[in-house]
Formats: sequence, C-alpha cells, structure tokens
Amino acid sequence: MKLRLCHLYPELLNLYGDRGNVLILRRRAEWRGIEVEVTPISLGDKLDPKAYDLFFLGGGPDQEQGVASADLVAKGPWLKEAVEAGAALLAICGGYQLLGEYYRTSTGETLPGVGLFAVYTEAGNKRLKGNIAIQVEELGTDRPVIGFENHGGRTFLKGARPLGRVIYGDGNNGTDQTEGARYRNAIGTYLHGPLLSKNPHLADYLLRLALQRRYGEVELPPLDDTLELAVNEAVYRRFLPTKGKW
Amino acid sequence: MSSAAACTVPGPQRVKWGENMLRAFLAIWIGRLVALLFRWLKRGGTSLPGYLALKIDPQLMGRLTSRYEKVIIVTGTNGKTTTTNLLASILRAAGLKVVHNSEGANMPAGVATALLARRGEVAVLEVDEGTLGLVTRQVKADMVIITNLLRDQLDRYHELEQLAAAISRALAAIPAATLVLNADDSLVTSLSQVRENVHYFGLARTPWSQATTSEVLEGHICPRCRRPLQFNFYHYSHLGNYYCPQCSYSRPPADYEARELELSSAGARFDLVYPAGKLALRTPMPGIYNVYNVLAAASAALLLKIDPATIARVVATFLPGQGRAETFSLRDKRLTLMLVKNPTGLSVALKTLTAGRGKATYLLAINDLAADGRDVSWLWDADISPLLQAPYHRIICAGLRAGDMALCLKYQGVKEADLKVIPGQEESVDFLLGEPVDEGLILCTYTNLALYRRILKARGAVSEVTPLPSLSGTP
Repeated sequence: MKLRLCHLYPELLNLYGDRGNVLILRRRAEWRGIEVEVTPISLGDKLDPKAYDLFFLGGGPDQEQGVASADLVAKGPWLKEAVEAGAALLAICGGYQLLGEYYRTSTGETLPGVGLFAVYTEAGNKRLKGNIAIQVEELGTDRPVIGFENHGGRTFLKGARPLGRVIYGDGNNGTDQTEGARYRNAIGTYLHGPLLSKNPHLADYLLRLALQRRYGEVELPPLDDTLELAVNEAVYRRFLPTKGKW
Repeated sequence: MSSAAACTVPGPQRVKWGENMLRAFLAIWIGRLVALLFRWLKRGGTSLPGYLALKIDPQLMGRLTSRYEKVIIVTGTNGKTTTTNLLASILRAAGLKVVHNSEGANMPAGVATALLARRGEVAVLEVDEGTLGLVTRQVKADMVIITNLLRDQLDRYHELEQLAAAISRALAAIPAATLVLNADDSLVTSLSQVRENVHYFGLARTPWSQATTSEVLEGHICPRCRRPLQFNFYHYSHLGNYYCPQCSYSRPPADYEARELELSSAGARFDLVYPAGKLALRTPMPGIYNVYNVLAAASAALLLKIDPATIARVVATFLPGQGRAETFSLRDKRLTLMLVKNPTGLSVALKTLTAGRGKATYLLAINDLAADGRDVSWLWDADISPLLQAPYHRIICAGLRAGDMALCLKYQGVKEADLKVIPGQEESVDFLLGEPVDEGLILCTYTNLALYRRILKARGAVSEVTPLPSLSGTP
C-alpha cells in the first residue's frame, strides 16, 4: 500500500510548525507498513489531480500567503477536481481561508479564493488566539480534538458543514460555535501547528480517508498512542474553563 | 509605507529637565526607594522600580536619557542580551561610565529600572523588539543596533513582517539615529529606509555555509518587489547571502565583515574587516550566533571610535551572563543551563551543545506562560537533527508542555524508551542527577530559566562562570 501525499507550498506556507503534520502522517503510515511518498508542489508547478491521495496546505505569514494565493487560485480547478474524485485534504489557518470563496480585507477589498469550501472570511479587529478544543462527530469518539488557534479573520459558513463544534476557544468566528469546514474528504481548520500530534484519532481518520479512494475501506492496525492520548487529555483538562462550575 | 507611517508617529519629544520637575523627582525617588528596598530584601532582578516610576512619570525614560552623551539601543529577536552586555563591557573598558540593563529586562519598566539605578555618560539599552516604539517615542537614541529578526513568540508579535513594520515606524521617530544593521538578514536590511547613516555588519562565506537549508525559513520575500528571494548561501535560519532575481535588491556589502571564520567548541576567531582596517578577534563563546553578537558589538564599538586593541581584549575574555549558557558542577555532574526561546534559538543551541560531546542526558523544559509565548507550536519549527545524531543517553521532557516536547521528539525519531516525561521541574532535576552520565544539558524556556537555576543552587550547584565586571554594575 502506498500513500501519495502532496505538500503544497512547503517553503511559503510553513507557519507555526504546520509542517509537523506531514511528518506525523508519514510516520503513522510507515509504522503500519504503508509506503509514503511526499511531493512538494509550489509556485508555477503543475498539479496533476490524479497523482495524489492527500493534500496538505499550511498557513503562512502575510507576505508569503499573498504570493501563494494567486498561484493557488490558478491551481484551484485541479485541486477541486482531485477532491471531487475523492482525494483527502487538510488545510490549516491561512490555507483554509484561501480555499474558501473569498476573503474580505479591512479596507473592503474582496480577494477571491479557490471556492472549495462554501465559506467566506472577513478581516476582524482583535486576533482570535489561544487554546481550543472541539468535538468532531465523524471521529466516533468523545475524545476532543485540541489545538491552538491564532487568526485575525472571521470565517462564516455559507452552506459548508463545520468540522466540529467548539467546546472552548473561538473557532471559525468566535460567535457561532462552529470550527473549520468539510467538503467531501477535505478538511479546513483553524487549529494550527502540529495539530495531528495531540490528535492521533484525527490523524488516522485522515489516513483512512486518503487511502479509501484507491484501496477501499482500510483497517489501520492500532498503534501505541499512550503518550499522544495522555497529552491530549492533560492539555484538554488544563484549559477547560472553570467558570460556572462549583 | 514608511513615509505614510512617518506622518502618523509623533517625533521624539525632547523632554527638558525643567518640565514637570515635581513629577519627575517623585518618580525618580520613589523608584530608587523601591529599588533600595528590594536590595535590602536581597531580591534583585525585578522591574518594579521602573514600573512604578513610569506610572508616575510616563516620560521618565526620555527625561533620564536626555543628559547622556550617547544612548545606544540594541534590539532584534536573538542575541540582544549578549550584544548589550559585550558592548557595555567594551565601553567600560575604554573608560566610559556606562549604564545598561544587563539582566535582559528589556521591556520599558526594565529599561527605566536600569536608568534609575545610576547616572552615566553612555546608556546601552536592550529593548524588546515588540515595544521599541514605546521607547523611541521619548528616548532620542543616537544609535540602534538590530541583531536579527527571526521567528519568535508569534502569539505576541504575529508575523515577522508586521513586526518589521512596527520597528520601521519606531525608527521613523528617531531619524537622526545611526543604524547598525545585520546585512545578512533581509528583514533587517529592509528597515534601512532612506537614511544616510546606516552601517552594515555581516559574515562572509564560511566552510559551514550551505547552499540549501533544512531550517524553516522566514524572509523569503523580497522586501522591495515582493517576489521570492534567491540565496547564494545560508549561514543559519534565513541569514545569508540573498538577492532578488526580479529587482536589484540584494544583501548590501557589509561595512564591517567577519572573514576567515574558524569555529570550535572552545569558541571562534575571525578577522573583522572594516573601512579603516582589519581587527583579529577571538572569542571564548562558541556558536555562529555568538559570532554575530561579537560582530554587532565590535562594529558598534568601532563606530563609536573605541580603540581596536581594547575591543579585541574584551572580546577575548567576555563570557555571557546568567543562564545564557551557564555551567555548574553538582555532585559528580557537570550541568549546563541554557535559555531557548524560539525555533532558531533551539536549533543553534542544540547544534552548539551537541558538537563533539560524549554521552549526556538532555533535559528540555518547556513552559507556555505569557513570557514564554503561549503557543508551543514553534518546537516543530526547530531543527533538532543535531540532537538526534548526538550520543544521548536519555532525553527528559519537563515543564508545563513536557508532553508537547516529547511528542515532537517521538515523531522526529527518538525512541520512546529514550524519552522520559517529567513535568515537575524539581522531579526532573532529581531524575537527571540520578542518571549514569557525567554531563547534563538543560535547555529551558524563559520562565523555567530562573526556576532551574534556583533548583540547582538549592541542591548545592556551583557556578563555573566567574562573575564579570559587566554584570556587577547593575543591581
């Protein structure tokens, strides 16, 4: 079995340790004897929609993101074709915003996105940042997905299904308790950095989504996630708001 | 951008000593009284005197510095404290009366505390890069040294370009100041604006220069035309020799350039080539980042017309102060304590500490309090390959984010059997002392540093660093 992973703009969209997720996916696949091939695709490169099972897109500093966005919008149709054909995708923070329909800046300018997710983003004043925990139904467990968010933009769903429901933190916009977006096997989220390290359940879910197009339902042998789950639980509990409790 | 910014920022307010006399006197004496009180209680290292004094007189920094002959500000992401302490030592050795904030207390309250303590002819002030604007609004600095702009506590300062823009606005408030900038950092050189009095320091190609880099990069975008930059070679992180293939932007020629660099675990030596000559320098501080610190301080000292022989003499013996890399002996062990606060800091610390070292146990103590940065995602941006290749006996992960550190190491290839997660700091030290190795290397984030120092001292550790004259000056 082989997983073909496409890492989009690795040298530009690399904020907050996002690249760690590619390493985590690689390790968790290789520990189960699944071969992994990571292909970096960047400015001006062609994107073959049929060549990959999983796409990863991180967040970047403003300038880098600006450079990547025009190129990504041009690659948009290929990316959409791949997702329509069943490819999995994980887009984080700025990458998530770029895959929405548009971004409206503080001066009212509208920057077009790829339009993969039926969401739009508006610039906000105060950055939404801090530890966050969400409940993701599809994972079939009560264990939350935890992480850290830091974004100025507020994203609103325009028909897209959210990735999860906010337990604590801000999520998409700090108001409607939704976090991230889903479309077919694509996931967009504001939980940045090495998100998958403390959420092995999400990592494996993503691996299964990625492999199912070519291999059908794949049963992943369990790994020893004692450390991962202990950290998930400890961090989750540490930042649980105590307000309103006895 | 910069011209628009210049319009919105008030120029330096030349605060005259006569204005608001009462308020100023009150601020100064209450500040000094509080400082005295803390000294009686033997509790040093606080910025409370400056904090209180600034509450009474918000213009105090401007007032206190207005009578100095020279005010020098050192800012940037890494290397501020070492550069400040070294420059202050050189100026003192040249016979000047120097005031500086030697303990890395670089927020306005810390700067004010140092200025309250004594009067001098020259002030060398380490200023936090994120609050530079608060200082330059009132302190009419004569010289600003910028060491580098690297990825740091992003939950505080957001992306680096925003930080660079804020620094640019802060510099616009002091148009007469001489800028001493790192030529090898495109983000720093983008701050030169349209000024005449800019001097660059930099490092020529070395045997360690690399054509590509595995360290995560910032500053890939041309500050002028916003196209990707190309690199002839990298020194570390995004520091190196860059050029823009689209426009003419490139690394400026360094007026003060380090050449013929030799690095070893015992330090470094290089020739500092400058407009009026050549100066051979030897430093006991290891690591390429310390070459930059020495280069920055020595270049500034040459610009201040300090005798080259004095500079070489101080550089040859100067060692960094508390916690930057401090060695202790405790029972049968030699323990090294070092501050790491961002990915580049961790990358170079590991590279330096592991070089040529035998079997040792490493202790990585990571906290996520406000002063550490709340977001520990940065751990994954560091290049930990030197540690992976080192003959470590074990790696202990401690602090509030011990688990995050352990996971980062696990996925990068450290076997779980070689990892030990002990969040409690006391317990982690006890475990380290029971290890069957002679050497322990403790790397900690900001809020863990003082804590580990205290824990080691309480267990009888003896510091191998002899107190330097540069550190005894400030209370």
